[in-house]
Amino acid sequence: MSQEKLVDHLFRHQYGKMVAILTRIFGLTHLQMVEDAVQDTFILAVQKWKMNPPENPEAWLTAAAKNRMIDLLRKIKADQTRLDNLVTGPSAMVLNDLFLDHEIEDSQLRMIFTACHPTLKPIEQIAFALKTISGFSTKEIASALLQKEETIKKRLSRARKSIKENDIKFSLPEKKDIPLRMKRVLEVIYLIFNEGFHSGQKEYLVRKELCGEALRLCKMILKKTNFRSGAGYALFGLMCLHTARLESKTNERNEIVDLENQDRSTWFRPLIILGDNALTKSFGYDDISTFQIEAAIASVHLNAPTFEATDWETILKHYKNLNQFHATPFTRLHLAIVHLQLQQNDEAYDLLQKIKPASLEQRSYLYFGAMADYYKTIQKKDKALDCYQKALASVNNDAEKKFLLKKIDQLTK
Amino acid sequence: MKDFMMIFLGPSYEELGLSPEQMQERMGKWFAWSEKMGRAGYLKGGNALVPVSKRVTGPDRVVSDGPFVEAKEMIGGYYIVSAESADAVVKIAEDFPDYDLDGAVEIREVIVFEQ
Repeated sequence: MSQEKLVDHLFRHQYGKMVAILTRIFGLTHLQMVEDAVQDTFILAVQKWKMNPPENPEAWLTAAAKNRMIDLLRKIKADQTRLDNLVTGPSAMVLNDLFLDHEIEDSQLRMIFTACHPTLKPIEQIAFALKTISGFSTKEIASALLQKEETIKKRLSRARKSIKENDIKFSLPEKKDIPLRMKRVLEVIYLIFNEGFHSGQKEYLVRKELCGEALRLCKMILKKTNFRSGAGYALFGLMCLHTARLESKTNERNEIVDLENQDRSTWFRPLIILGDNALTKSFGYDDISTFQIEAAIASVHLNAPTFEATDWETILKHYKNLNQFHATPFTRLHLAIVHLQLQQNDEAYDLLQKIKPASLEQRSYLYFGAMADYYKTIQKKDKALDCYQKALASVNNDAEKKFLLKKIDQLTK
Repeated sequence: MKDFMMIFLGPSYEELGLSPEQMQERMGKWFAWSEKMGRAGYLKGGNALVPVSKRVTGPDRVVSDGPFVEAKEMIGGYYIVSAESADAVVKIAEDFPDYDLDGAVEIREVIVFEQ
């Protein structure tokens, strides 16, 4: 067999599938055992394959997981420990059925709802989802989220503990609970996406991985009719549209390139089309979401042939909409930036003045950046410089820092 | 043509705690390597070994459980290859995928006893 036959991320995705199936059999209380077992299966596979590559790696891994399941069942029987949900013992045939494609999908959805359970904190949800569904190692999660490995380990163990303490069941929500539970699921997916999209991570690949995972999770949900919603489609569309320009966000020197200067020829057309289609689909549902309005805004940007040709009027309309639907300091900030683009300087200033930089937390530099742009436009160079300095003082990310330094440099020339 | 044993030394993947993605990356490299050797007609066979080991020693046949060597000296598996000379096998060994994981290849010629 050749290298090409190993589908991208096969191991990672297969890991998520196996953990989901085995958790469905053994219950969330045995999650740790399940994860160890799956890891062992992979080690075994790798050892065997080194000398003797299989014809169909995916089938081999699935068969190995099945064997592993039987081993574990035997072991548990031998240990005389009882499994709560196996006491009545589903027959071997039922267990075999769990390895069918649609049942695997079902198990994975249960895992998504587990990861996004409201009793877990958002930061735990992200780490847990990346570990159990996406098959990242703690080290990989740490590197993707720019955190210490120890921190991630703590988050994961807190998540596991809280699942046990709250006796969370490995199940799908009841029909009446779906909208509320789904809202959290979509939020967590978007958080994962944003970690990738806004990350200061040097490696483009790491960022792409997170964005790719968020898209994959969202797609899993949209596959099931019960779980479809306007917000789900809108989120999928939004992420497609953003991802289409991911590569152009930084240049080869790892410097940030703003929307104005991005090389639009590198924007990935198929993803733009996919995003627009998903956005259109979202309008077929009754629910309105911030995702939908944000996707509509992204779509205007992504479909503009040049920065100058951007339809700012439409964007302004969407931002006003967003501000009405769900106002945050960020939506006000963006609205102000759009006003600046339209040379509506007074409106922009009016909005900016009402924002407290502290309310933007670690992104307060965006506020100072916008303020600087305003002063630059009205020819108040000193005040603009002052704002850039403030922005610089509140930014953590190296690429953002360089970007601001460049702006200061241009202004002082 | 002579037969050689290529013995692979190094820590097990289990010990290194490789992630699924990393394991897959390794796998790809091993596939490429063995395929290349197979195409060139070098490869005659081989096996991977379980890291758990036992040792029987002395007149009393005392059995002890491993490990007996440091992780990087552990034998993880071997290939039997057929080549012109030890130098030719050294050339083959250049593509061994696990040098970056502290791995090593030991090359030993198989003795052929004349009838």
